[in-house]
Amino acid sequence: MHVVKASDQSPPSLLSGDNRVRLEYWLAAQAGASRVTVTEDGRLGGGAISLNLAVTLDIVGGPLAGRHACVLRAEGGGRISASIGKLREFVVLRAAFAAGVMAPEPLFGCDDPAVLGHDFYIMRRAEGLGAGHAVTRSEAAQPELARELGRQLGLLHRITPDTEGLERLGEAPDCPAQETLAQYRRWFGDLGRRDPVIAWGLRWLEVNAPLPGAVVLCHRDFRTGNYLVKDGALTAILDWEFAGFSDPMEDLGWFCSRSWRFRRPDREAGGIADRAEFYAGYEETSGRRVDPARVAYWETAAYLRWAAVAVEQGLRHSSGAERSLELALTGRMLPEIEMDMLRHLRTIGALGGMAADAVEKVA
Amino acid sequence: MRANPDARGLLEIAASTFRADVLPHVAPEARFAALMVANALEIAERELKGLDAAGHSMLGALALLYGEDADDVLSGDDLRKRVEALQHRLCIEIAAGDFDQEGQGVLMDALEAIVEARLGISNPKALG
Repeated sequence: MHVVKASDQSPPSLLSGDNRVRLEYWLAAQAGASRVTVTEDGRLGGGAISLNLAVTLDIVGGPLAGRHACVLRAEGGGRISASIGKLREFVVLRAAFAAGVMAPEPLFGCDDPAVLGHDFYIMRRAEGLGAGHAVTRSEAAQPELARELGRQLGLLHRITPDTEGLERLGEAPDCPAQETLAQYRRWFGDLGRRDPVIAWGLRWLEVNAPLPGAVVLCHRDFRTGNYLVKDGALTAILDWEFAGFSDPMEDLGWFCSRSWRFRRPDREAGGIADRAEFYAGYEETSGRRVDPARVAYWETAAYLRWAAVAVEQGLRHSSGAERSLELALTGRMLPEIEMDMLRHLRTIGALGGMAADAVEKVA
Repeated sequence: MRANPDARGLLEIAASTFRADVLPHVAPEARFAALMVANALEIAERELKGLDAAGHSMLGALALLYGEDADDVLSGDDLRKRVEALQHRLCIEIAAGDFDQEGQGVLMDALEAIVEARLGISNPKALG
C-alpha cells in the first residue's frame, strides 16, 4: 500500500512554520485562488530517494476550487546518478498524463528555492496497494493486470523526443545501447576492474549491442512495486524520477527481470503473469511489435543498472552522506543481482544465444 | 588477549535472541526496521564465521580458469589479496575480449562459483 505512516522516522521539517505559509501563498498564486490551505497527512513510502508527503489542499476560488488529496514530492537527502530532478520529473509526468497514461495528475511544479528550499511538485494522490510482495501474493496469476500494464507502457512509448515540453530532458541518444554502456562504465568505475561478473556483464553488453532503432520516452523504473493496484485493477503508475529517452525495449526488459518478480519468480512479467500477456497489451497500444531478442539484451542491461544503483546506495551510507540501514543492506544485495544476471545469461544462452545473429549488431 | 565470548560469539547470540525474543513483539510500524536489523546481524555473523571459507571457494573457482593450485594455506589478508589479484587479472582479460569467442562455458562456471561464495554470506536463501 502507498502507506500513510505517522512520521516517526526523521520527521521532515519541509512544511514547518514559514515554509507552509510560503507554500500556501505560492499555491494560491499558481491556482488563481483566493486562498489555499495545506494539511499534512503524513509521510508516504517509496521515498528512498525522494521525499513524499501526503497533503490535502483546500482551495478557495479559482478553477481548482475544492478539496484535493495530493502528494508533495520533493528532492530527498541525496540524488543518485540515475535520477533526473523534480522539475524534469514533473515535465515527464505532464507528458505521460497528457498521452493518456495512468500517471497521477501533476498539478503544480516549482523550481524557485525561495518557496521550500528544494525543487518540488504536487500531484493527485492515487489509492491502492503498491508493495511488490503484496501485489505478487495472489495465488492466481493476474493476466488482465499484466495486459493493462503492457497497454499503459505502450501509450507511454508513443511519446517521442520531439514532443513539446520535453526539452528539459536533453538530447535523445543516437544509440541507446552505446550511451547506456558508457553510462554504466562511469557508474561502476573501478568496480569493473575488480569484480569479474560486472566486467563480463559490461563486455557482454558491448559485444551484443543492437543497432539503434526507435527512441522514445521511457519510464526506466517501470516494474512491480512502482504501480498501485486496487481490487485487482491498476490505479496509477508511480516513481517517474528515472525517466528519459531510450530504446522502448529497455522498459520491457526491466519489467520482466528477475529482480522485480518478488514472491513469484516463475511469473516472468513482474511476478504477476506470463510475458505473453504483458507483450500482447503492449502491442495493442504502442504501434510496434515486441522484439524478444532486444528485450533480452535490455534485461541484461537491467541487472547491471540495478547493480550500479545498489552499489551507489551502499556507498551513500558508507561514505557518511546518508546513514541508513536500508541503504547499507541495499549495497549488500550486489551478489544476488549478479546471480540473477548470470541465470538470465544462462537462459538466453540455452535458447541459442545472443552472440548468434538474433539481433543486428553495432559491432 | 581474547575475551570470551568473542565478537563472533556475541553476535551469534545477539542475532538469535533478537529473532526469537524481540522480533515477535515488535509493533507493526517498526517491523520493517527490526527485520533489517535481524538481517544485518546475520550477515555480519556469517561474514565473521565464513569469510575465509568463501575466499577459498573463490580461489578454487579462479583456479579453474588459471590451472593454478588453490592455495589452502592462505588466510585472512593474504587470502583476500590473492583473490583480489586473480579477480583483477580476470577483469582485464574479459575486457580485452579473451572470452568473446571461446571459454565462455568455463568462465560462466567460475563466475557462478564466485557469486555463490559471496551469496553464502550476504543471502544464502538466494542460492536457490
